[in-house]
Amino acid sequence: MATFFVNGNSVTAQKNQSLLRFLRDELHLTSVKDGCSEGACGACTVIIDGETCRACVPKTDSLESKHVVTVEGLSDFEKKLYTYAYGEAGAVQCGFCIPGMVLCTKALLDKVEDPTEEQIRYAIRNNYCRCTGYVKIIKAMELAAKLKKTGVVPEPSETDWKLGSSVHRLDVEEKVLGYGKYPDDWYLDGMTYGSAVRSQYPRARVLGIDASKAKALPGVVAVLTAEDIPGENKVGHIKHDQYSLIPVGGLTHWLGDPIALVVAEDQETLEKAKKLVKVTYEPLPAVHGPEEARQPDAPRVFDEEKDNVQAYKHVSRGDATVAIANSKYVISKHFETPWTEHAFLEPECAVAYMDEDGYVRVLSTDQSSHTTLHECKILLGSEKVRVQNQLVGGGFGGKEDMTVQHHAALITYLTGRAVKVKLSRAESLLIHPKRHPFWMDFTIGCDENGIIQGVKASVYSDTGAFASLGGPVLERACTHASGPYNYQNFEIEGTAYYTNNPPAGAFRGFGVTQTCFAIESLLNEMAEKIGISPWEIRYRNAIRPGQELPNGQIVGPETGLAETLEAIKPYYDAAVAAGKPVGLASAMKNSGVGVGLPDWGRCKLIVEDDAKVHIYAGASCIGQGLGTVLVQMVVTNTPLGRDDIVYERSNTWIAPDSGDSSGSRQTLITGEACRRACEKLTEALKTRTLKELNGEVFYGEYLAKTDKLGADVPHPVSHVAYGYATQMCVLDKDTGKIESMVAVHDVGKAVNPRSCEGQIEGGVVMSMGYALREKYPIDENCKPIDKFGKLGLFRAHEIPEIKAIVVDKPGLDVACGAIGIGEITSIPTAPAIAEAYYQLDGKRRTKLPLDDTPYERRGR
Amino acid sequence: MEKKIALVACNGGCRNDSCGYGCISCGACVNVCPAEAVAINNSGVAEVDESLCLGCGACVDACPQEIIRLHEAGSPIVVKCSNRDPGKAARTACEVSCIGCGICEKVCPSGAAEVTENLSAIDEELCLSCGMCAVKCPRHAIYDLRGVLTARS
Repeated sequence: MATFFVNGNSVTAQKNQSLLRFLRDELHLTSVKDGCSEGACGACTVIIDGETCRACVPKTDSLESKHVVTVEGLSDFEKKLYTYAYGEAGAVQCGFCIPGMVLCTKALLDKVEDPTEEQIRYAIRNNYCRCTGYVKIIKAMELAAKLKKTGVVPEPSETDWKLGSSVHRLDVEEKVLGYGKYPDDWYLDGMTYGSAVRSQYPRARVLGIDASKAKALPGVVAVLTAEDIPGENKVGHIKHDQYSLIPVGGLTHWLGDPIALVVAEDQETLEKAKKLVKVTYEPLPAVHGPEEARQPDAPRVFDEEKDNVQAYKHVSRGDATVAIANSKYVISKHFETPWTEHAFLEPECAVAYMDEDGYVRVLSTDQSSHTTLHECKILLGSEKVRVQNQLVGGGFGGKEDMTVQHHAALITYLTGRAVKVKLSRAESLLIHPKRHPFWMDFTIGCDENGIIQGVKASVYSDTGAFASLGGPVLERACTHASGPYNYQNFEIEGTAYYTNNPPAGAFRGFGVTQTCFAIESLLNEMAEKIGISPWEIRYRNAIRPGQELPNGQIVGPETGLAETLEAIKPYYDAAVAAGKPVGLASAMKNSGVGVGLPDWGRCKLIVEDDAKVHIYAGASCIGQGLGTVLVQMVVTNTPLGRDDIVYERSNTWIAPDSGDSSGSRQTLITGEACRRACEKLTEALKTRTLKELNGEVFYGEYLAKTDKLGADVPHPVSHVAYGYATQMCVLDKDTGKIESMVAVHDVGKAVNPRSCEGQIEGGVVMSMGYALREKYPIDENCKPIDKFGKLGLFRAHEIPEIKAIVVDKPGLDVACGAIGIGEITSIPTAPAIAEAYYQLDGKRRTKLPLDDTPYERRGR
Repeated sequence: MEKKIALVACNGGCRNDSCGYGCISCGACVNVCPAEAVAINNSGVAEVDESLCLGCGACVDACPQEIIRLHEAGSPIVVKCSNRDPGKAARTACEVSCIGCGICEKVCPSGAAEVTENLSAIDEELCLSCGMCAVKCPRHAIYDLRGVLTARS
């Protein structure tokens, strides 16, 4: 027992427990986020006696008489100050790290009135952020320091909320002050806790499950197994091959396969009960990677499949073989890229309960509430499910699959009880699908002027223990492997293999991050061979409006790759002239699902009793700022002002299905649906006031119509639009470290330029990790071995100067010209960095993360 | 900050004279310090006043026991022991010795703590300053120099 002070109030912790558990579970100070409970992430940072400290580290008994401060305990001035500074700087994205960052800011400013940039970086260097790349958080801290001295918090610099205005995002305050709710922040009356017992072996036959001892433990509510599932056991995005619970007699596919779901009244009993569930196995040889998976006598990962091929794609136009044979210059190379962990700051969590209408209500953190609804309905064999998005603490593709949502729904459906199902950080690292590792062989042929004649490639990937989005990721890897250039002889074949490794699925860039590294690296080598610059070879080949991409699509007037090259040229030329090692790479990335799949945006504008328009779109804000984008759309396309509009988080019973937050699609596709709804609302407002329109619904929908892959038409439209980018890396010759990154992005119309910059900075830093340091090693038991703090994510004191440049190019005739951004920010980064290192030391690197750089992590 | 300051890796809990690794109160560091930042404390161990230390490294060179090193001022979690004897001998020698048990390695979230030659060391480039090792160390050989998670010294 200890008595100490929290936000000035005397409190007594009876039980000796971590400060984090005490603050959250007993005091319900939920601004203190639980991101890992192992000391790594910094999301639970509090201030103890003036020093920042992770709340998960000290035990309450050690805190006698100490003073603890959380953001709930900030003064009114500090609350205003930090809300303003973080909003004005554009520092808030998913928000999960933000209360911790705010307390780091406070602790610094309480000691140092005028901190240097270095002091600011060091003040947050132990706190991870995966969204922002820290750039705008550092700006927010500088601004807060300045304003704190004046004692006055001004008005936001931009307030008109039209497209193109860098207004403060609408979710800044709830994230800075920590009152916005992520699923883990719900503490419902009578709520139970659920968690899965998972396979001990990556590949084994389950012979028996004995839950009798667990069920006999006082406080255990239920132990559920596959037999209890009322609907279909297997769920999945496209292919239903993800077992919700492995049945007796069934095969396990990886160490994350759930076998029994334990439900208990409290978290301690839950952990005890999980250990009491006895599962007997017949361990079987595992498949450790694609090389093993492709052998004719390889063990099969799935009983149901004839081999381990999860997907095969072949894309061909023109005649690449002949074109390459006739080329003056030809280069062939092999490339490899690693597994990558999303490392979003918020681990997966879902809360479910029976709502007043007898529906299972799921409070989720995911990339589409409608996808969660669909998969839960399959599992339960029931329509009586409703899903509501809470704040989402980052996704990056890693929250597109079922991890906890379906388990929470099943528990509530079968027990009638409210439940929280949350993954520990270690479980999160094992369970959600990762970025696919790729093995790639590429050949490029060019003429004497560096004009690309043809490209031929063969790639394969490890898609792990279930399909997830392995097929579409492979497809996107293949369709974008050509690069954004104007040539017509292109052939690629790709295969994704099932293995007993953790599953791989969507990850910012969706396969393109991998093949872009190959094609852009080859192009840089080709430029040298021909004797022109990496900039010149791209400018000569760049796809321009009206030209035909290697996939046959004629690109529209919004196509701005050449403009990104022109915008980067002064920076490139200056770095070259200064004799600095500099690397360059370009990329394109689709907006929208494309390739003939139904891709709907849907939005309802409902006028409610408060005489305001409420925006309902079944589309998740996963931190990118969708709510702000939609409000700016409405302000631009109706006579209404910001105060007339309320953004509602996605749900499945009012908000119509607007697809996953995937494929950089929401700004364009839900944005256009919203714009169409605005047209109807504007028409109605010509004759009536908002008050008179109470209860009316204005509905907009938009189908992004495309042709399927290999469609037999002269110029198939694979995607409604593409974003284009060129990025550049400059190294410091003396240290070998990155001096600066310049990232120029063609986004059509930038809805909120500051948010757009934030996406770019965050994407660049994320891919600096991919290029230089991040690993996800898997041992011989198919087990990922690293903890969150060992992944190699970049920290605030390590990031170079990052210059984000947004090119606004009109031409797209939907969504007011907004193409969107999201993924492409992470795509050309790695090859640009690889080229810079080649310029430094003359060594061509074909494998990520790049070896022999100052960032390379030592063993341990 | 990347500012470096001196740290004496001994906390002076010796029970007898069997620890040949620790501070011997010779005062070489005190004499050589240009900033009067080093003094011998009540336990007979040299202690650095971080607010005065210039990070010049003179004491590091002067120490005959080679137990003073420069560390990052911004990394407050430190091992204050230099005993390289195996567990039992180290335990007998001192109240607060590192016995090389490896708990710090196990609980470290970032791979920064590592035991070599029966002695824990923290790689400050990898350390996230969470202090989990300091809290879990059964020998109180790892300290939070800020005094938040452990006593200051």
